[in-house]
Amino acid sequence: MSTTSTTMTSPRAPQTPLSRFATLQTADRLLCGVLIALSLFALALGIAYGVAMALVRSGLLAPAPDTGYRVLTLHGTTAFFYWLYTAQAATVLLLAAAEKKGALALRGLAWAGTALIAAGFVLSELAAIAGPPLLYEANPELGTDDPRTVAGMTGGYLLLAAGFALIALSSIATVLATRRQADGGLSALGFGLLAWAGFLIVSAVAAVNAFLPGLLWASGFGAFPHAATTDWHILFHNLHYLPLMATVLVWYALAQDLTGISPATGTAFSKIVFASYLVFVPPTSLYHMFLEPGLPESVRVAGSLLSLFVSVPTLIAFLIVVASLEIHTRAGGEGGMRARLRRLPWDNPAMANMGVAILTMLIGLAFAFVLIQEKLAPLLSDTMFVPGYFHFFAVGTVTQSFIAMLAMAVPAVSGRPLWRPRLLCVMPWIVLAGLLLFGAGGLGAGLMGVPRRVVDIGYGGEAPAIWRPFMAMVGIGGVLFASALAVSVFGVLRSLVPGRRGLAAAAEPHVAAARSAAAPAAAAWTGPLAVVLLVAAMYGATIGAFELMQSLPVTAAGGGAH
Amino acid sequence: MEPTQLESKQHLTTRRGFIAAFGFGGVALYGAWAAYGASPLPFTHASGGHAAHGTAPAKAPAGHSGHGADPLMTPDEFLRRHEAFLARFRTPDGRVVVPAAAAPEDAHADHGAPQPHATHGTPTPPPAQSHAEHAPQPADGEPLDIYLHAFRFGFTPDEMHLRAGQPYRFRMLASDVSHGASLQLGHASRIVRLRANVVSEQTITFHRPGRVLVYCTVFCGPAHDAMSGRIVVA
Ligand SMILES: [Cu+2]
Repeated sequence: MSTTSTTMTSPRAPQTPLSRFATLQTADRLLCGVLIALSLFALALGIAYGVAMALVRSGLLAPAPDTGYRVLTLHGTTAFFYWLYTAQAATVLLLAAAEKKGALALRGLAWAGTALIAAGFVLSELAAIAGPPLLYEANPELGTDDPRTVAGMTGGYLLLAAGFALIALSSIATVLATRRQADGGLSALGFGLLAWAGFLIVSAVAAVNAFLPGLLWASGFGAFPHAATTDWHILFHNLHYLPLMATVLVWYALAQDLTGISPATGTAFSKIVFASYLVFVPPTSLYHMFLEPGLPESVRVAGSLLSLFVSVPTLIAFLIVVASLEIHTRAGGEGGMRARLRRLPWDNPAMANMGVAILTMLIGLAFAFVLIQEKLAPLLSDTMFVPGYFHFFAVGTVTQSFIAMLAMAVPAVSGRPLWRPRLLCVMPWIVLAGLLLFGAGGLGAGLMGVPRRVVDIGYGGEAPAIWRPFMAMVGIGGVLFASALAVSVFGVLRSLVPGRRGLAAAAEPHVAAARSAAAPAAAAWTGPLAVVLLVAAMYGATIGAFELMQSLPVTAAGGGAH
Repeated sequence: MEPTQLESKQHLTTRRGFIAAFGFGGVALYGAWAAYGASPLPFTHASGGHAAHGTAPAKAPAGHSGHGADPLMTPDEFLRRHEAFLARFRTPDGRVVVPAAAAPEDAHADHGAPQPHATHGTPTPPPAQSHAEHAPQPADGEPLDIYLHAFRFGFTPDEMHLRAGQPYRFRMLASDVSHGASLQLGHASRIVRLRANVVSEQTITFHRPGRVLVYCTVFCGPAHDAMSGRIVVA
């Protein structure tokens, strides 16, 4: 494959994080394999529901409204909860195991966690299929006539939360055990894993806070959960920043594996960046509630201001990773940007997925920042703008980063080489093309007021005709990225089936040899340049939204509501 | 063991301080907010000329929405006033026609009157001249109260006839589950979220004649798609 990547052979050479997968014990590989398979199954199912939803929203499929909203519920439940949390559980466990280079600690707990996740998955899916559509937040307001559905969905989520909390505990115990082995304490990645696993446990507590009242009410043991909306927002913020932190950690590990060099900024700095998620994420949650009636203006204003900082840890980690990649390309000789870009191991599916993930994160950030301005919330909240931008993150950035990581890890887990790596290298670019189309359609539709959760947007002929072509773009783009992503999922799943050598022997991950000599003091301008471009794009998007808002033939006072 | 570190003679772009500084790049968006008078910190309000520009009458309404905690009125009180509102303004054919306070003599010349745009299907942009007067004009009269009731699966009134230039105080209630009462205004919308059994209030002035679709943007159940109404601005 790549000339820049060589297979690690000497156990004595300095090791990059993922090369240590080769040291996984058979019992750990079995556990990780089951967890990976479970997560990929959820992803495949989530993609299938997503395709159906894309066809419905573009008008190509016209199901009964109930069916449409049921599919929307299933898509969110499966992709957002079961794929993202199970993938995180699998990844944190794998990286912890690799960190320790020995047996997982508390493996029984991790097995129990896996079983709980699987049980929760079945319960949530069955409830969502059988009952009235509650959407993925399992809104009890919509289930007053059918508490059993509320009980099934919230019960499933609670099992899921208990499951990933147990796996997080096993991961923490495993990483902590490395401190006894290693001479110099925790590595930066080990530290990041502890923060991530800790955050997962916090997320599980938030899930209990959000869903237990609903379960108790639905089972006849408690009052109706009137605070469900607020409790959901608390969980929701946590729920969608955590995968971004996970992504950054995956990039951090992958960059070292793909280039063989560790970040020039050093271990302590990386630890501070990982820890800073705990500082920057919780106070930035208010912007989801800008349209909530009763939120005081002062809170909305403070929420906007704080939200400006939400990207800080992610951008710093982005700069560290991009600098590593750039220094790697410079080590192969100077040359123009294009010549140096070509020196990255693009023929490795992990690199292709990670590269596209980095690009889509920048695109997503440019538009996400429109929504943190409370004055713009009445223009865009609850419209297609929201799914239009968040799929750049959820699919382009987070999901593809997990795929990148699994492309490296799965051969070590199963003992079988990756299925058709060349084909898998192409898929992320098709995902990018599909996302651009989906995003353009969704962002455009949202700016024109297309609601995000309405199956049929005709309104008896009163809706603007221009809504349709934009939603057709959403449909075509969605089917395109979903199809390409499905090929990636199939490839990784196929490679997970134990090879001829079986579980007894691990395939060596395809990683670059760690460099023992320090690279020259190379410049890394790509990252800073990208941040400058990102800020310019943010300005463009925000100014465009303000201009559109000012052009509305209406003035309104009184904020989102009273 | 970690791979080799690059420590000596680092280039500026790989130094910690440089990377940390660029990590705060997103905060620079504050400048765009300030330019539109939507910046949260007090000192930028001084640069005020822009604040009067149209969308964000940021300061004026703050008083209105400041007291989030105490409810405007109870749902029962809302429903009582809503009935009185309907009784007062409902015409025999079922529409609700709210006249402009400033022009009482025009009260009954609702639509079909000399505004050519009022009866068109989509809110076509008006002639350029009305563009100039977007900026929030101080309303002459007190805002007129509108009581909009959202429920599974509709709005009452579902057709209202209002006047351009007249401020209306929309008092809104979702009486069963949460709903939206969003306004489709041609090339964009104004999204309004209503939480169940919370009376919300917004003062709205339409600047152009046209038809406005009122639609629910918070999923509320099987017939959510069908939940719409209209406002005809004359
Ligand atoms: Cu509704």
